[in-house]
Amino acid sequence: MDAQLIVVLAGIVLMVVIVGSVLFMRGYSGKFTFDTADGTRPRASEGDGNTTGVAFKGRFTMLTAGVVAMFGALVAKLWSMQMVSSDYYDTLSEQNQTRTVTTPAPRGRILDRNGVALVTNRASLAVTAYRDVADDPVLVRHVANVLGMPYVAALRNIQDNTEGAQARHTIATDVRRSTIAYIQEHAGVFAGLYVDERTERQYPYGTLAAHVLGYTGTVTQGQLAAQEEAASSLDEGAITYTSGDTVGQAGVEYEYESVLQGIKGEQTVTVDAFGNVMSEAGAVPASAGSDIRLTLDLAIQQACESGLNHAIESAKQQGMVNAGAGACICLDCTTGEVLGMASAPTFDPSVFIGGISNDDWEALNGEDSGNPMLNRAISGQYMSASTIKSLTSLAALEYGIYSSTRTTVCTGWWTGNGEENGQACWLETGHGTQNLQGGIAHSCDPVFYDIGHDFYYNPDNPEGMQEMFRRWGLGSPTGIDLPSEGEGRVPDAAWKERYFSDWSSEDRSWNPGDMTNLAIGQGDILVTPIQMATVYAGIAMGGKELTPHVFYSAVSRTGEGDAYRYNETGTKERLTAKINSDADLALVKAGLHDVIYVTSTDTARHFSSLPVEVAGKSGTGEKTGEDNYAWFCAYAPADDPKYVVTAVLEQGGGGSDTALIAVRDVLGHIYNSPDTYTSYESGVR
Amino acid sequence: MATASRAARSNASSLKRVNKTMNMSRGGFRQSVHLGVLAAWLGLVAYGCVVMWSASLSIPEVSFSRHLLGIGLGFAAALVIWNTDLRNLQNISTALLVIDIVLVFLPNVPGLSHNANGMTGWIRIPIIGLTYQPVELVKLVTIFFISSLAAQYNGRIDTVRDYIKLCGMLFIPFACVIIQGDLGSGLVVFFSGAVVIMMSGAKKEWVLSTLAIMIGLVSLILATDSIIDGVLGDSNSLIKDYQMNRLLVFIDPESSTSEEGYNLQQALIAVGSGGFLGKGIGNATQSSSGFLPEAQTDFVFALTSETFGFLGAVVLLALFALLMLSSVRVAVKNENLFMRLACVGIVGMWMFQIFENIGMCIGLMPITGIPLPFISFGSSSMITQCCAVGIVQSIWRFRQKSA
Repeated sequence: MDAQLIVVLAGIVLMVVIVGSVLFMRGYSGKFTFDTADGTRPRASEGDGNTTGVAFKGRFTMLTAGVVAMFGALVAKLWSMQMVSSDYYDTLSEQNQTRTVTTPAPRGRILDRNGVALVTNRASLAVTAYRDVADDPVLVRHVANVLGMPYVAALRNIQDNTEGAQARHTIATDVRRSTIAYIQEHAGVFAGLYVDERTERQYPYGTLAAHVLGYTGTVTQGQLAAQEEAASSLDEGAITYTSGDTVGQAGVEYEYESVLQGIKGEQTVTVDAFGNVMSEAGAVPASAGSDIRLTLDLAIQQACESGLNHAIESAKQQGMVNAGAGACICLDCTTGEVLGMASAPTFDPSVFIGGISNDDWEALNGEDSGNPMLNRAISGQYMSASTIKSLTSLAALEYGIYSSTRTTVCTGWWTGNGEENGQACWLETGHGTQNLQGGIAHSCDPVFYDIGHDFYYNPDNPEGMQEMFRRWGLGSPTGIDLPSEGEGRVPDAAWKERYFSDWSSEDRSWNPGDMTNLAIGQGDILVTPIQMATVYAGIAMGGKELTPHVFYSAVSRTGEGDAYRYNETGTKERLTAKINSDADLALVKAGLHDVIYVTSTDTARHFSSLPVEVAGKSGTGEKTGEDNYAWFCAYAPADDPKYVVTAVLEQGGGGSDTALIAVRDVLGHIYNSPDTYTSYESGVR
Repeated sequence: MATASRAARSNASSLKRVNKTMNMSRGGFRQSVHLGVLAAWLGLVAYGCVVMWSASLSIPEVSFSRHLLGIGLGFAAALVIWNTDLRNLQNISTALLVIDIVLVFLPNVPGLSHNANGMTGWIRIPIIGLTYQPVELVKLVTIFFISSLAAQYNGRIDTVRDYIKLCGMLFIPFACVIIQGDLGSGLVVFFSGAVVIMMSGAKKEWVLSTLAIMIGLVSLILATDSIIDGVLGDSNSLIKDYQMNRLLVFIDPESSTSEEGYNLQQALIAVGSGGFLGKGIGNATQSSSGFLPEAQTDFVFALTSETFGFLGAVVLLALFALLMLSSVRVAVKNENLFMRLACVGIVGMWMFQIFENIGMCIGLMPITGIPLPFISFGSSSMITQCCAVGIVQSIWRFRQKSA
């Protein structure tokens, strides 16, 4: 203890000084010798002025001086405190007795592109009270009875400080109007209770677009810690959160939190030493957050979700018992706007209102839950399957690996990498002689095995295929304005070497089989549905890919109109893939047209009822130990593309048999032309 | 006055009657009552009334009527003492010591002790049911006791033996009060007694040596405590942590997290935020909202200066200064050594109580629980302090040598 040391040292110094002065006085008086017999001071020394009377006078002077000195010290210290430093103490006194509590601001609403509210706010009447009401057990019991809740629960809510010790604590929310009226009529009995209007998230369309919209929840400790860390770099106007605040936790609610979150109001209260609120002082009202318009179109969103469910149901009927998960996306390829985005299985965002229960959380995140909160449209990473063949073809044409006139004879079994490494075509009986356009149309694997094989042994561009995939944006996120987007994977020799670092160097070397697998979109390649939708949008647009986005605009706070658009112009260019020659692209597009109208009468029948021509590609991913993954990517109209629809079904079987259904349903909805043909037995993969 | 004393010397017996008549007729009131002391006393009591009335508005423990009752009892006691010639007390020093010790231990007597709300040192007088703190009275009795002993030396203590004997005698009541656990009152007893001994003619060298020895002892104890704490690794060995906190907190109140540190910090805020004119009655937020603990007793000065500001504090200090300087004057004018010493002892008592109480509120002195005379809430203190004023007035009234 430092103060203790100081006192000890001061004491020692003082003692030394006193002893010194005593010795000094001794020595001084010792100079005198008295002319008496033994040299001592004579008993009666009245003569030297040392009479009792004179001595007393001196002592009284000393005493008076002491009293005056004491008052002098007190006044001096008081002067310094009350006259000089008064402002400092005044501030401390002010801080002592005032607290600022915040009042919540309503979040902005989330609308679809036509202004239909997808997420809105619901007024909720809450009964609140300051903490000191807990000291009145009779009142608490009354309140509990009126609100129909247990006494202990009511007491706990009043004493709970998470909303701030000096703020009004919520006893119950969503209190019925009749109960509120009763409380207000008996204001005398319920003195100390307040009725506060709160807003809570409401979802008029239930689970619709739940993955895009996201949900709100109480700010987490991690988020608060992150805020603390970033505090130094934050600018002045940034929103600061405190424990108990409601913030977006996923989807648009999370991504556009700063737009949706309003500015909290402030209420200054005066308190006593025990924290009891004595009175309310100045208040700054809360201001609501801005509304957001999304690019989603309610009708197309509904079509995506129902189409996806239709496809899943069909897959189950076709014997794919594990079907149930998947995604379906509808893009406007001319703007990059996401018109619909569905992911299955889905969840109900309203379970998060007012805090999610453990059971609900377990149901959404448990081992057997099927991860309903995962937005598979952007976070699901799958092998691309045959949908990649468009890009494989472009690469083959550009690098001269496979000309438009070259042909491959498909017998159903391809042995280009040697007999022992033979690979099958999906059609075991073989397609016969196929050129590249036919290879795309029929999804004939040996054509692409040849391409992969020839790339592998091409000394100039052994990885030209991967270069082409990356050129079109695979292996990197699309930059969609939603959280947790997957980036996919374009495998190459370097990747394999790195990824399987615990394998022997022989096993992890890039071999021809890897290349032939990659050419048909099997093996280690991973893509997200939004990536494939963007790639097909790029194909439709002649190589130009626009960044997919769900944010259309922030609605102006005052009146109608937009405060600002997405990227100010409404579109953002993601990339423009260089096209070697228009003829290459035309060949691919012709192949995609043939997929729909030539290869299979079954498929053609589904699409020929539409008023516009469609181009597209199916895909069927093979995964060991699981049923096949179904893909279908399409754009329409084929001659002047606007809509791109992509669907993927986990373990949904063949792409043309199941994923096609979702795509056809969405297009059918857009062109107001429902699918009239009910057979899904084309078998084309 | 000068005439009167000369007359008294020439013919004591016949002039006694004349004296009385003179007192009655011209300026008689001034002869028997010292106006300075009276004015200061009435001013202080009135000031205390205003402070307690304002405190009673916000502090539930304060009962203004009980404060007035204390003042009434105090006035009555003062009146009785004023009419009593106290000079005879010089001859009963042994009895005074006995009374002193009995008073100190009175709260330990079963049936009398009154220990409500964790307070100790109170007695409840049977039948009338009044509660009282005898230690307040011990302060006055001790002053008389030491004065009666010191007066034997006719104003000059010549031998160290006599000096040590006097100090030893003072140590007895001091030690008794300390044993009872009331350090604050013990220090009051010690300080007022020390003033009496110094005024009775102790040599400067002895007084300074005594002071040096005491400071040395305290330093030694603190140093030993540090060393023992260091060796044992336990900070509660010789002196408990809370005791040390209380002693040392005033050196750096803002850094201390102890309760004393908080109390002192709140007192400093109260005093400082009062400013020049104060916040006014009812607006003293520090004391009325409960931030300042014991605002009506130990920290009453903080309450006063928050309410009335620097101006009010200076007025209060001026009243105290008038009371004490007038009392010194009373002592000077008295020829009787015993009365002189008793009067000086009372001045010493006020000096210590006022400096300690106010000094504690403004961070000059360590925290101890001593009431501020005439201002703090509490009848025991009020009655005793009024008695002290009665004593000073009695000393003034019976100042002639003849008795």
